[in-house]
Amino acid sequence: MKHSYSLLVMAIAGLGYAAWPEQGAKPKQPEINFGRDVKPILSQHCFKCHGPDASKAAAGLRLDSFAGATKALDDGCAIVPKDPTKSILIERVSAKTPAMRMPPANSGMAALSTEQIGILKAWISQGAKYEKHWSFVSPKLPAIPAVSNPAWCRNPIDRFVLEKLDVAGLKPEPEADKDTLAMRAALTLTGLPPSQSEQAAFRNDKSKDAYEHYVDKLLAKQTYGEHQARFWLDAVRYADTHGLQLDNERSVYPYRDWVVESLNEDLPFDKFAQWQLAGDLLPKPTNEQLVATGYVRMNLTSNEGGAIEEEFLARNTFDRVETTSTVFLGLTVGCARCHDHKFDPIKQKDYYGLYAFFDSTADSPLDGNIALPPPFISAPSKAQTAELAQKHAQMERRLKSLDAGKAAAWFEAHHKSLILTKDWQVSSVYTSPNFDVAFEKAQPGEPGQPDAQWKAFDFVPGTDYNNIIGKDSSSIYIKGTISATKAVEITLGVSSDDAVRVWLNGTLIHSNKASRGVNQAIDKVKAQFRAGDNQLIVKIINGVGPDGVNIRIASDSDQLIDNALAAFRRTPQNAAVQNELKKTYFQLGPKTAESRAYLALTKEITEIEASIPKTLIAKEMATPRPTFILKRGQYDQKGDPVDRHIPASLGVLPANLSVDRLGLAKWLTSPTNPLVSRVFVNRVWQQHFGTGIVKTAEDFGSQGEWPANQALLDYLSVSFMNNGWSIKKLNKMMVTSAAFRQSSKVTPQKLAKDAENRLISRGPRYRLDAEVIRDKALDAGGLLVKKIGGHGFKPYQPDGLWEGSSDPASSTHFYKRDHDLSIYRRSMYLFWKRTSPPPAMITFDAPTRDTCTVRRSSTNTPLQALTTLNEVAFLEASRTMAQRLLSLNVSDEQRLARAFEITLGRTPQPSESKILTNALSRYRKLYQADPAAAKNLINVGDAPQPAKVSATDQAAWMIVCSSLMNTDEFLTLH
Amino acid sequence: MDPIREAELMMTRRQLFGRTTLGLGTAALSRLFALGGLGGLTQLASAFDGQAHHGIPGLPNFAPKAKRVIYLFMSGGPSQLDLWDYKPKLNDLFNTDLPDSVRRGQRVTTMTSGQARFPIAPSKYKFQHHDNGGDGIWVSELLPHTAKIVKKLCVIKTMWTEAINHDPATTYLQTGSQLPGRPSMGAWLSYGLGSMNENLPTYVVLHSKVSSGKPNQPVYPRLWGTGFLPSEYQGVSLRSQGDPVLYLKDPNGMDRTTRRAMLDDIAALNHRELGAFGDPEIAARIKQYELAYRLQASVPDLMDLSKESADTFELYGKDAHEPGTFAANCLLARRMVQRGVRFIQIFHRGWDLHSDLGIDMPSQAKDIDQGCAALIKDLERTGLLDETLVIWGGEFGRTVYSQGPLSHENYGRDHHPRAFTVWMAGGGVKPGMVYGQTDDFGYNIVDKNGAIIDPSVDRRTPGAVHVHDLQATVLNQLGIDHTKMTYHYQGREFRLTDVYGNVIHDLIT
Repeated sequence: MKHSYSLLVMAIAGLGYAAWPEQGAKPKQPEINFGRDVKPILSQHCFKCHGPDASKAAAGLRLDSFAGATKALDDGCAIVPKDPTKSILIERVSAKTPAMRMPPANSGMAALSTEQIGILKAWISQGAKYEKHWSFVSPKLPAIPAVSNPAWCRNPIDRFVLEKLDVAGLKPEPEADKDTLAMRAALTLTGLPPSQSEQAAFRNDKSKDAYEHYVDKLLAKQTYGEHQARFWLDAVRYADTHGLQLDNERSVYPYRDWVVESLNEDLPFDKFAQWQLAGDLLPKPTNEQLVATGYVRMNLTSNEGGAIEEEFLARNTFDRVETTSTVFLGLTVGCARCHDHKFDPIKQKDYYGLYAFFDSTADSPLDGNIALPPPFISAPSKAQTAELAQKHAQMERRLKSLDAGKAAAWFEAHHKSLILTKDWQVSSVYTSPNFDVAFEKAQPGEPGQPDAQWKAFDFVPGTDYNNIIGKDSSSIYIKGTISATKAVEITLGVSSDDAVRVWLNGTLIHSNKASRGVNQAIDKVKAQFRAGDNQLIVKIINGVGPDGVNIRIASDSDQLIDNALAAFRRTPQNAAVQNELKKTYFQLGPKTAESRAYLALTKEITEIEASIPKTLIAKEMATPRPTFILKRGQYDQKGDPVDRHIPASLGVLPANLSVDRLGLAKWLTSPTNPLVSRVFVNRVWQQHFGTGIVKTAEDFGSQGEWPANQALLDYLSVSFMNNGWSIKKLNKMMVTSAAFRQSSKVTPQKLAKDAENRLISRGPRYRLDAEVIRDKALDAGGLLVKKIGGHGFKPYQPDGLWEGSSDPASSTHFYKRDHDLSIYRRSMYLFWKRTSPPPAMITFDAPTRDTCTVRRSSTNTPLQALTTLNEVAFLEASRTMAQRLLSLNVSDEQRLARAFEITLGRTPQPSESKILTNALSRYRKLYQADPAAAKNLINVGDAPQPAKVSATDQAAWMIVCSSLMNTDEFLTLH
Repeated sequence: MDPIREAELMMTRRQLFGRTTLGLGTAALSRLFALGGLGGLTQLASAFDGQAHHGIPGLPNFAPKAKRVIYLFMSGGPSQLDLWDYKPKLNDLFNTDLPDSVRRGQRVTTMTSGQARFPIAPSKYKFQHHDNGGDGIWVSELLPHTAKIVKKLCVIKTMWTEAINHDPATTYLQTGSQLPGRPSMGAWLSYGLGSMNENLPTYVVLHSKVSSGKPNQPVYPRLWGTGFLPSEYQGVSLRSQGDPVLYLKDPNGMDRTTRRAMLDDIAALNHRELGAFGDPEIAARIKQYELAYRLQASVPDLMDLSKESADTFELYGKDAHEPGTFAANCLLARRMVQRGVRFIQIFHRGWDLHSDLGIDMPSQAKDIDQGCAALIKDLERTGLLDETLVIWGGEFGRTVYSQGPLSHENYGRDHHPRAFTVWMAGGGVKPGMVYGQTDDFGYNIVDKNGAIIDPSVDRRTPGAVHVHDLQATVLNQLGIDHTKMTYHYQGREFRLTDVYGNVIHDLIT
């Protein structure tokens, strides 16, 4: 662990440790911390053979515990506390002969350096204390330190930062100018530059807390939630396709929109986490809480031909366990899939203990190659819900304004049913030895048989009647009189559970020995009714389980009217019956303005309902699957059974919590959990400052980096919990600190003493993320469409990228770009095909969303330059930005100043103006001489061309705008 | 002063420490395409850091036999039984059941696990014995050109894998893991060894047309991705459609002079910013744009085959005139080798023949046969074969039993991971060699006495070559100890071969 080690070397050097002699009088020794100073050395060089993996403990020696290290072995004790000279460990690591020296030459491990051996000696001298790894101990609110310049400090963050700067002998940089701050805060909070008016308001606000007000406004913008969501979506590997083999589309974007909304509403992080991990297990979960469980379903899935279900169950669950562990605990548990973790106290049994929480969801391990492998739910957006409620209210009003009696009277006057039914009766139940006999055997009531013991039956044609028999292998008869005004042929609709036979006026007209449910089929039966009364007898025969029948006699609309009228006559005061009649009246009664308005409403409601997206959710199986340790992580190599449990080194699940995902989620977000708050707070810090306080944001285990400022991290994480897990408050504290507000100027002194800015000796400075760069360009071009949520969009993309990389059978084989304004939406809404993600994003280091990513790499390649120079969206944005400038009725000089405002959020320096003014006149001349080239250049993108602006001017300005969008300053947060 | 030179001088340790692990993230100027290699970087980092890197020592670990790799990937799983693994005894067993003693209850995919029978399908294609300078080798009539270069080939008949489905199996060969998320072999080499040229990417991927029009099974960027390595090490797809490299071409209406002038203006603006803020990252940005400008010239030069001789086209066949064919890609591969590209991968799809081997195998084989042979001959005549390791193969083999209807003329074959054929050439592998043997059914790997062996991934099993063994051997030829090229991520040292793999010394000189 070079980083923590180098910190120690710095610290030791500062205390004169490096000069500590091998023998002789003891000078003042620095306090050695096992976790920070010693464990990295042991874990890097020794644990592979002498570590927590009990099966590998070579020579019976384990150095991961005090007991193990001080155990008497054949040739003595590896460690004798307070006596380095008697400790065999020191002897072996400093042995001169390679054969004696540890680690062995053939182990692939480097020998220990003199400094490292010095640390081990000092630690043993101090008693060889094995303190618990720092991140496994719950954080406590640290004391606010005294510092050299309290006046500089705006909030406690600054105290902790300045304390470190004081030790290093560095002074903070002065506060950045207002324009720089305006851009910096807007980019880090919302991922977009401030609007012209927002920036002007901030510039003109001379109050002491102008910046705080400005930050509050940014936090309240919808773009805040979108930008913040992006980091979470990287971590949970959100995408719009399944990710493996065919990589078909998956419908889960309501989850993405829920994340945006939750962050905008500042849903406390503990709830945010609990709903995602276990919303389905909450008592009476809301729709929102269910949508959140899309988190559990986010793993890659497949339905490749020939795939074995059990193998994919294991793969899917590995993915869930390892993602959850990194996202919430900042721990890498993947090693323990196959064996006890070699460095962290995670046993293989612990891994499968966590696994057991996630392997019993009701979704099939294979995705069926469909967009919505169950379970899923409808997930109306807030807007959709509100719109539906509004339409329903309008509908209610229309119904209320109609008098039911009037509707009934109209029907009675205008609707003459051909058919009326009456005198419905039912026989007793006849039980038979089996279904066949029940079907065949004629019973009393059937034509030609003795009459049955009939009982009156309140039967309404067109209605489902369930469980009228109630016994297996049994039958029943229903009899009714049907009066027709004239002889007529009517097609009856007969549904039955299970079999059915029908007689009309004594003649068998239908017989179907089906085994089915009432809802599964409607038999069409032609029936010749004579004028006057007809007798219909229906026999229902049940095989096993539920039974039922439904007989439709009239046409659908006649039936509706008949039923509504009949019900109204029976219970004229019943509100539901009245409403049913009124609805029927609007639908089938006279065509009036009211009925048309009502029908228009119903159509709108149907359309809204059809547009409501469906989204994958988690649901627990009624009976959990038994879980076993999988030897070497092989799905078909089952070992011992395992119960759900959390890693033993982190304690046990408190008894008051349920042993399921909900219990796990509650344990994770309990105030005593040492990791979750720290891990999240660290990522937010990383977002704003470029590097986390723990640089290895994905690993808080012993192989991860020691925090650069643990007191600061602990302060932030405890106050985050104390502030009700409010993410907005956390963000505000960070971006309003004096530390964040420093100028990002890099001086030679700072470069030498704080190269990576880990001490925060200056303001943040780093290349912006892919999404921000594209969004900024669209914004500069005046193209950005700020619509929240919805289906992912598909903008310009070079031909053949999807087609060339996917199977022709894939639902995402053909890329069909959108042709409406959605192509100008924010990049976080890009349709994300995992096996072929948007190329501009990937080129700028966006992760593929195959695996959990909590820290993006930040590279610098020529392909990035080619993207911002030549990709259609960037060219189009520079063209429309040129149009924006040319539409201003001002001088070129003023236009140029505006161009700097738009792209860089500041006014130009004279030297800069000169460069671009010269460029402008050069390009003008060029395109005046070659108007065809100008036309070619501006012929890019869908955005309309204004008729009035000359192509030459546009082309010349377009290159100027593109130049600004390709400056380092445009691409950088600073 | 030359702005590039100046920018280079500006480079400080700041650039060596980005947002990624190992402090090798951001904008190390010497590595815009992984230039310079890790050894140099380590020294540079050490010079500033006052300490050595713990994770990775300077590479290569020892003198390499090969400087570069061309990997011809046959996606879908070509049938070893119809190309390389000659099993004449099967002719008498047509349509008889595969004995249980051969299948031994081993798992099969759910595409055939429901079949009532596993009827044996002998290859309908004729095999001929060829002199390979050693014991000779049988080659199918489907590969007439390749048959003529067998003296150069080291043919492994006993490759094996645990994966039985395409996605995991392909991901396995490309990244050493069946689950997505690890760096590809080419990315590892870009990262570990760096580039040998300043104007082209280190790792280039080419995709070939499939004459049958059935490019079943996808190949996607994950397979040449970087996993957790910084994204600059990912393979760059050279496309035969549109721009060869995405966004390479300047827009219509902008000539090179204008582009040059524009880049100069951008550089001037960046220089002012550099002066004001002193961040060396700004110098890196300046160089990034210069390299982009150079790439815009070097890639079209690479793709321009007009100066290739008639002899060359004779060698590669008339297909080579058509961009995107396997033959044209092989020719491009040779040109890239000449220009110092480290790792070139050519994908050819359509080998997933669950049915119709009697119809589709000839066109699949014809697509690749002449290109393979021409590439080897061309590399040899240009003196590049010795230092170029060429690999041919798919993600698994195919079953001896028929999937679906079986006749003498036509049959199908399901996935078979337990034995399949891969060949290598050049780069210090033994020419004219056949390694390993399978049983009379081409189903199991057998020892010299014909006894079935169960190869182990844990320990070296003589006569069998596991996916990780192949990877270990490839790295070895490039001078890399596969156990030593590691990357620290998420608390663990990752490597291409996971925790397995053995160099197969029998295969190499």
